[in-house]
Amino acid sequence: MLISIDWIKDFVTLPEGLSPKELGEKFTLATAEVEDVLTVGAHLAKIRVVEVLEKEKHPEADKLNLVTFTNGEEKFQVVCGAANVVVGMRTAYAPLGITLPNGLTLEPKKIRGVLSEGMLCSEEELGFAEESAGILELASDAPLGQTMLELFNETQDVLLDVDNKSLTHRPDLWGHFGLAREFATVFDSKLNSPFSSEWEKGLRALITDSSAPMKVSVDSDSSCLGYFGLSLDNVTVGESPSWLKKRLKAVGLRPINNIVDISNYVMIELGMPLHIFDRDKIKGDTLFIKRNSTESTFTTLDEVERNLVASDTVISDSEQPLVLAGVMGGLNSGVDENTKNIFIEVANWKASQVRTTSTRLGLRTDSSSRYEKTLDSLLLERTLLRTLEYVLKESPDAKVNGGIQYDGPDLSKIETVKIKSSAESLVKQLGKEVSFEDMKKIFTSLDFHVDGDASSFEVTVPSYRATKDVECESCLLEEIGRIIGFDNIEPISPKFDVFPVRLTPAQKLHRKLRDFMVYHGESYEVMTYPMVGESLLKKAMWPVDRGLELINALSKDTELMRTSMIPSFLEAVSKNAKNFEGCKFFEIGRTYHADDKDFRKEKSMIGLVHFSKEETPFMNLVNDTTRLLDSSNINYQLSEKHPKFKNNIVDEQWKGVHPFEFYNIRIQGKMDGVILSIHPIVLKSFKIKGHVSISLVDMSSFEDREVKDKTKYLPLPKFPGSTFDCTVVTNADTEVAKIVGALSKLKIKELQSTKVVDVFTMSETEKSVTLRSNFLDRNQTLSGDFITEASTKIVATLEKAGYPLKQ
Amino acid sequence: MLEKLESAYSTFSSELENLNTQPDVLNHKSSYLGKKGQVSEILKSLKNATPEERQAIGPKANEIKTKMQIAIADKLAGIELAAINEKLAKNKIDITLTDAIKEKSVRHGGLHPRTLIRQEIEDIFLSMGFDILDGPHIETEFYNFEALNIPGDHPARDMQDTFWFKDEKSEEGNKHLLRTHTSTIQVRGMQGRKPPFKFIAPGTVYRCERTDASHEMVFQQLEGMMVGKDISVANLIYFMKQTLKEIFKRDVEVRLRPGFFPFVEPGFELDIKCQVCSGKGCSVCKHVGWVELLPCGMVHPNVLRAGGIDPDEYNGFAFGLGLDRLVMMKYGIDDIRHLQSGDLRFNSQFQDY
Repeated sequence: MLISIDWIKDFVTLPEGLSPKELGEKFTLATAEVEDVLTVGAHLAKIRVVEVLEKEKHPEADKLNLVTFTNGEEKFQVVCGAANVVVGMRTAYAPLGITLPNGLTLEPKKIRGVLSEGMLCSEEELGFAEESAGILELASDAPLGQTMLELFNETQDVLLDVDNKSLTHRPDLWGHFGLAREFATVFDSKLNSPFSSEWEKGLRALITDSSAPMKVSVDSDSSCLGYFGLSLDNVTVGESPSWLKKRLKAVGLRPINNIVDISNYVMIELGMPLHIFDRDKIKGDTLFIKRNSTESTFTTLDEVERNLVASDTVISDSEQPLVLAGVMGGLNSGVDENTKNIFIEVANWKASQVRTTSTRLGLRTDSSSRYEKTLDSLLLERTLLRTLEYVLKESPDAKVNGGIQYDGPDLSKIETVKIKSSAESLVKQLGKEVSFEDMKKIFTSLDFHVDGDASSFEVTVPSYRATKDVECESCLLEEIGRIIGFDNIEPISPKFDVFPVRLTPAQKLHRKLRDFMVYHGESYEVMTYPMVGESLLKKAMWPVDRGLELINALSKDTELMRTSMIPSFLEAVSKNAKNFEGCKFFEIGRTYHADDKDFRKEKSMIGLVHFSKEETPFMNLVNDTTRLLDSSNINYQLSEKHPKFKNNIVDEQWKGVHPFEFYNIRIQGKMDGVILSIHPIVLKSFKIKGHVSISLVDMSSFEDREVKDKTKYLPLPKFPGSTFDCTVVTNADTEVAKIVGALSKLKIKELQSTKVVDVFTMSETEKSVTLRSNFLDRNQTLSGDFITEASTKIVATLEKAGYPLKQ
Repeated sequence: MLEKLESAYSTFSSELENLNTQPDVLNHKSSYLGKKGQVSEILKSLKNATPEERQAIGPKANEIKTKMQIAIADKLAGIELAAINEKLAKNKIDITLTDAIKEKSVRHGGLHPRTLIRQEIEDIFLSMGFDILDGPHIETEFYNFEALNIPGDHPARDMQDTFWFKDEKSEEGNKHLLRTHTSTIQVRGMQGRKPPFKFIAPGTVYRCERTDASHEMVFQQLEGMMVGKDISVANLIYFMKQTLKEIFKRDVEVRLRPGFFPFVEPGFELDIKCQVCSGKGCSVCKHVGWVELLPCGMVHPNVLRAGGIDPDEYNGFAFGLGLDRLVMMKYGIDDIRHLQSGDLRFNSQFQDY
């Protein structure tokens, strides 16, 4: 929203010598964020009337002239391309250094070798017209040297562009009078209110009590909070005077005609929207404010046909809706150049209803954006009188016809908001000493009334601040704080009891996993989108689950919550495969699953990804994954695909499952993890050349549990252990785990472990496997006899299982 | 006899010098110091000497013997070392062929820059006694709006473009959505606690907003809240300044201005002096010299009530911090979309934390 400082000055005297920037900063710090400070008309104060003395062709360019002119005192020369330059004409000269409304700053420069000292301006360059041909032609008696500001009776202004969102809670600041009150408080100045009781009396005296030609009738189930109306006859519609047009243009409104312009002017001045009807276009003698009751169409002022629903409130005559309450008037009842008699409507509407209607229609107007902030019905009458004042001023022949009409809730029943507080309480919450006198001064300046003394007082909130904004003691705190400047409060450490705090088990675990993956897993942490789309899922041949679907996704590619990280991982690999021969990354994130009872279930996942162009990274990934789980004290078992126990993370029927490279990770009996390689058929669909292995673990079931330190210390053995190595021969495709497993039932209590030392491929069909068994007896040195006996048992067991010693 | 000993020692020394193998040195040793060695032979004639002579020769003979033994030991040690060194020389490796010089080198990975900033801020708040919480990404209207003093018809709902779920089953007014801010944790956090308490809640949030170089629909925020008796605006400013000082590793000039958020009263926007231009005005701060960083304020009584806390007895403050904005500022990242691209050319730049 644009604030015109010139307009503000109607109501308040601002301190001298404030720069526009300071003005904006102060307002930002006390009230609301000023996003931009614009200076209007500053250039006009420097552009002066000159007379052309000479004109000669530019030596280097056919279409350019060298023009010499005077401002009455000095002579200047510029290079000018305008066709309408003639000797003796008076025009506008912009000297070097000024910035024109189109953003051009005049700097000394040579045009084809000739220095130009500024420029002669067109209407467009002065900001007077959207477009124009040639330079401005002034009357021959325009005083030489006079500024454009004086010549055209223009006003210099400063415009503050305020972020609308920061005024969401301040309906009173949607008009310049309300803003002026704020400026008065911020700059410690007096508010000059024109709205005295004399002013009111004077206007009321013009209103006759004879029966009105247009009456109003408000249905109680409509969104109306109060409806005032007044009829005037014999109005002259015409162009608005320049002061009015200037003000409207300054805040970004387009002047239309004096009557429409007045309605806009009063809205911008007082913050209360209003509507003026051409009364002769209203059928019947009563306006009905009611719910639309059926679905229908309605053409608004902007000539768009809108669909109305039954709950929309409309203002209708005896035949049809004329205005969509609080949003926009209709095309059928507006004031035009032929209008003679008018009806002024000043009404208030329920914020939620206006918001619902305008949101549904996608129609945000100056009116709806004010009403949806919740306006004060007690300001309606003043707004009506102000409108009347301006109409009579701009159309002196107009006559009031009848009295002020009102229907709607009894406004005298609106409750005054009073808030109890004390100086001590506010100081305590602020954390800064402020005297009761200073508080009182701030409140009074903001039109709040204070009763009582420092130890206990009651603040009466002005009605226009009480609609939604100021409702409790905290709100008083805000008023005091922002005016003394929150910035002026010194930081103070709070006093509080000290409690130990620590990371939760899940947070600790996540940190540990991350560190492990970075330092040991040599992986990069990534974050991929939690949303996916059908096209990605189809590419991954992953089933499309529409359980958690967004209504208003920004694109089809992000409309579903991911139920697995795998498709996103594959997408990331395909991107990285363009730049890397191989890569390793991981993500700690969530997957999202529709749930009948709780709507959704979010799982906390960790996913590891290995990609290699050369060979399958499956074994590396298995080892990384198991080390990761071991390092974090997670109990698990790896198991191969099982016909009965299905994996919970990956559907084994998924086309991307590798036929052999697959492990279930069983955690607490549940198949909550998986390590697998991706089937080339799916990699092909992502144009990935190489091998991809992925492991995933659902941590939801255990991450919140405190991990117990299960370390059991044993004294160091006093007696040495012993080892026994043997090499067996087996088929090339025998899994080594089976050979080691053959010894699992061997009962030798001194046998600590048997591990694979080496695997040697002997031929295409045979390999040899070297095993080492480790023995230890904590109570004595192992005897030679024992070793012989034990090794014989081991060899016999292996042989029996089909793994004879290598000869 | 003394002369004999002296001359024996000098020949011993000069001969030893030319010996280079262990057996030669050992032979040399026995030929002088052995039972039938030269020194023993010389000393045999000692029995014919006078007691005076014995007294003079005895110590001298011992001295020479010791010197010879030391020389032998030194020589042997030298030979062993030479042998080892020769072996080492044979097995010399190219120490410049480090992993770093290889195309396929093994290096540690790296955390996501968001994690780096997040953990740092978590640690700052942990050290000041704040718990760290999180909650669901898919939320209900209650936690995202109602409980935060933003009823259904409140215009403030427009401030946060919300992703809504297809949700026929849930009742009107409590539909499911993707949380638009971590403020959802305010009420969730209050519900399980008794004042005084303080916590932060970092996490992912979602806004239905077109993505470009500086806007993301999925990003990270950090919520903070402290509730107790007699908490003041000055306390809020204290924590904010301390935190920023820790984050930026120096005093940062801040300014506090009113800002409207329905869940706080009074509400503020905390701006920091632009770290790029130090306040002179640049494109980063849109030429105002300040960068909006941290919305905050005193918790609205209605929000305390929604969290089951009596606003007449307790009050508190809350704040929100855009983690992604800090990440972008700290590392000068030009495009926010890199954060979720999974492109390792981006992620691999954050190894050296």
